[in-house]
Amino acid sequence: MMNMNTALPEEMHTFWKETCNQTSPSKKPKPPKPQNAITIAVSSRALFNMDLEQDIYEQQGMEDYLNYQIQHEIEPFAPGPAFPFIKAVEAVNARLRELYPDSEELFDVVLMTSNHAHVGLRLINSINHHQLFLERFCMTGGNSPIGYLKAYHTNLYLSADSLKVREAIEAGIAAATVFSPGKITEVPETQLRVAFDGDAVLFSDESERIFKAHGLDKFFEHEKAHENKPLDHGPLKGFLEALGKLQQKFYAKGQRLDCPIRTYLVTARSAASSGTRALKTLRSWGLETDEALFLAGAPKGPMLEKIRPHIFFDDQMFHVEGATELGTVAAHVPYGIAQKIPPKKDGKKDTSARQLE
Amino acid sequence: MENKKNHSGPLMIALQHDDLFDLNSVSTNTELPKGRAFTFIKAVQTVNERLVEQNKNECLLFEVILIAMECTEDVKMKIVESVKYYGLEIGKFYFCKKEELKNTLQSNKVKLFLSTDRDDVQEALRSGISAALLYDQADHHVLNPLKVILSGDVLGFSEDSLESYLDFELSENQIETVKAAKICVKEFAVLIGQMRRRFGPDNSPICTCVLTVWGSRNVCASALKTLREWGLDVDEAFCLAGAPSNPILSVVNPHILWDGGFHNMRDLAALS
Repeated sequence: MMNMNTALPEEMHTFWKETCNQTSPSKKPKPPKPQNAITIAVSSRALFNMDLEQDIYEQQGMEDYLNYQIQHEIEPFAPGPAFPFIKAVEAVNARLRELYPDSEELFDVVLMTSNHAHVGLRLINSINHHQLFLERFCMTGGNSPIGYLKAYHTNLYLSADSLKVREAIEAGIAAATVFSPGKITEVPETQLRVAFDGDAVLFSDESERIFKAHGLDKFFEHEKAHENKPLDHGPLKGFLEALGKLQQKFYAKGQRLDCPIRTYLVTARSAASSGTRALKTLRSWGLETDEALFLAGAPKGPMLEKIRPHIFFDDQMFHVEGATELGTVAAHVPYGIAQKIPPKKDGKKDTSARQLE
Repeated sequence: MENKKNHSGPLMIALQHDDLFDLNSVSTNTELPKGRAFTFIKAVQTVNERLVEQNKNECLLFEVILIAMECTEDVKMKIVESVKYYGLEIGKFYFCKKEELKNTLQSNKVKLFLSTDRDDVQEALRSGISAALLYDQADHHVLNPLKVILSGDVLGFSEDSLESYLDFELSENQIETVKAAKICVKEFAVLIGQMRRRFGPDNSPICTCVLTVWGSRNVCASALKTLREWGLDVDEAFCLAGAPSNPILSVVNPHILWDGGFHNMRDLAALS
């Protein structure tokens, strides 16, 4: 642990002065109550780049990791994969506050990390440095975030740790593992763009099961025959619904054309056949996406490169990787038949690869 | 510096008998049924056991004083019998009158008086006794590490950043109360910090947290910094920015919740 007897160097004095005496302007908006807001919980490694520190933790252990974090406390982290998404979410909030100053129907971003509070000061310093509107956080000191996700009525949980994400999905919380893009793509600052895969993300995996068990032809037959029967919902349907509600608020104020939220369905289904069932399902739920792209099995990467969404959700790592290769931040939703590791039936926690993030 | 001084001698805390035992349920046994503070006592004893395991000659251990006010002779007997029955490590018993409480605690150098009753805690704080809430642990069968929450709102308070508590301001009176509370808890925090340092980051029988309910993230940072200066590096930190605290508290599930009376301040009652 840090030796408390050494005098703090000059830079640290300045840092403490800035951090602790930062007077928040009286105009700083009050965060909404969790039950009224669309709560997005993001882990520290999803929000910030902590690759170097993660390596230290994995190779040298907890003590060295914590010491390193404390020694580098005044160095803010660089942005991580979910950072542009969070910035865009804040931009939407700013527009919503302009139009509806008294409403609590806003996004609320919570930092949900299993890091020890020893890392807390560096994280808070980083939040200050990047001027994020993040006032809520849970640093659980190694404990599972699931209970806290529920306590915050979390609508979406983004993490770099696939184990935590699976735990969340199994607990019924919309969640995805975020991956860094292979190259930097510029994404819009004033319009939040969210892209979703269809099966096992917005919809259940029932059709994927048929495809896996009986092949493509049987899949087409089945989808055509059941065209008018809505698919069951998938883990991210609720989040799309929440985005839709906020979009309605912009439409109500005449901002349909330049709405600051835009949603995309990017599916391997084809427009000619199986796509119809997908669209009809969305309609039956009273939902829609601004654009629906039916790729008929073509790779999703190039299409996403054109769209430039802040985040893309898919249940298959093949598509997630294809997206990140071409510069899109992609997030894996570990749900349904496509997963290599089946969900645990005995409820035992997998503690073999513990990650601190 | 504080943490360099080797505090010889135990960390004294005080409990009330009606928290340790359940006096309301009818029982035919000679011993009193377990009360709400039972898991707490067990957690405290585990800390002591682990401390002694590491160092046979450890002086910095918890010592629990049991206070029983206005008791009949009958009940007094039962209390002593029950403590023996359950094998509880109670350092001293004090059967006294309410007015004697403050003197009793002071003469025993009690660092923290604990009660499950919020009003008891408030009253104690008002009369200058360092006190905290004994939180009702949800499941009394699970033995968790001793968990102590300290208020980030109080510890992170600074005269320069008054507007960092959402959109309200503290009155002169409240500011004085907060400043006094911060001074009052320092001794306890320093000792807890020393105890905590006897163990590594993982598998510790004692776990410390900062909970900031209304303060901004910078108020929380200030609290973390203050505690670090006192030699206490907390394990967990929560910043609610006005979100309801009960749902979070039930997940954190502390044994001790110290807030220096901050949440009882009248003006703030409307926000909870």
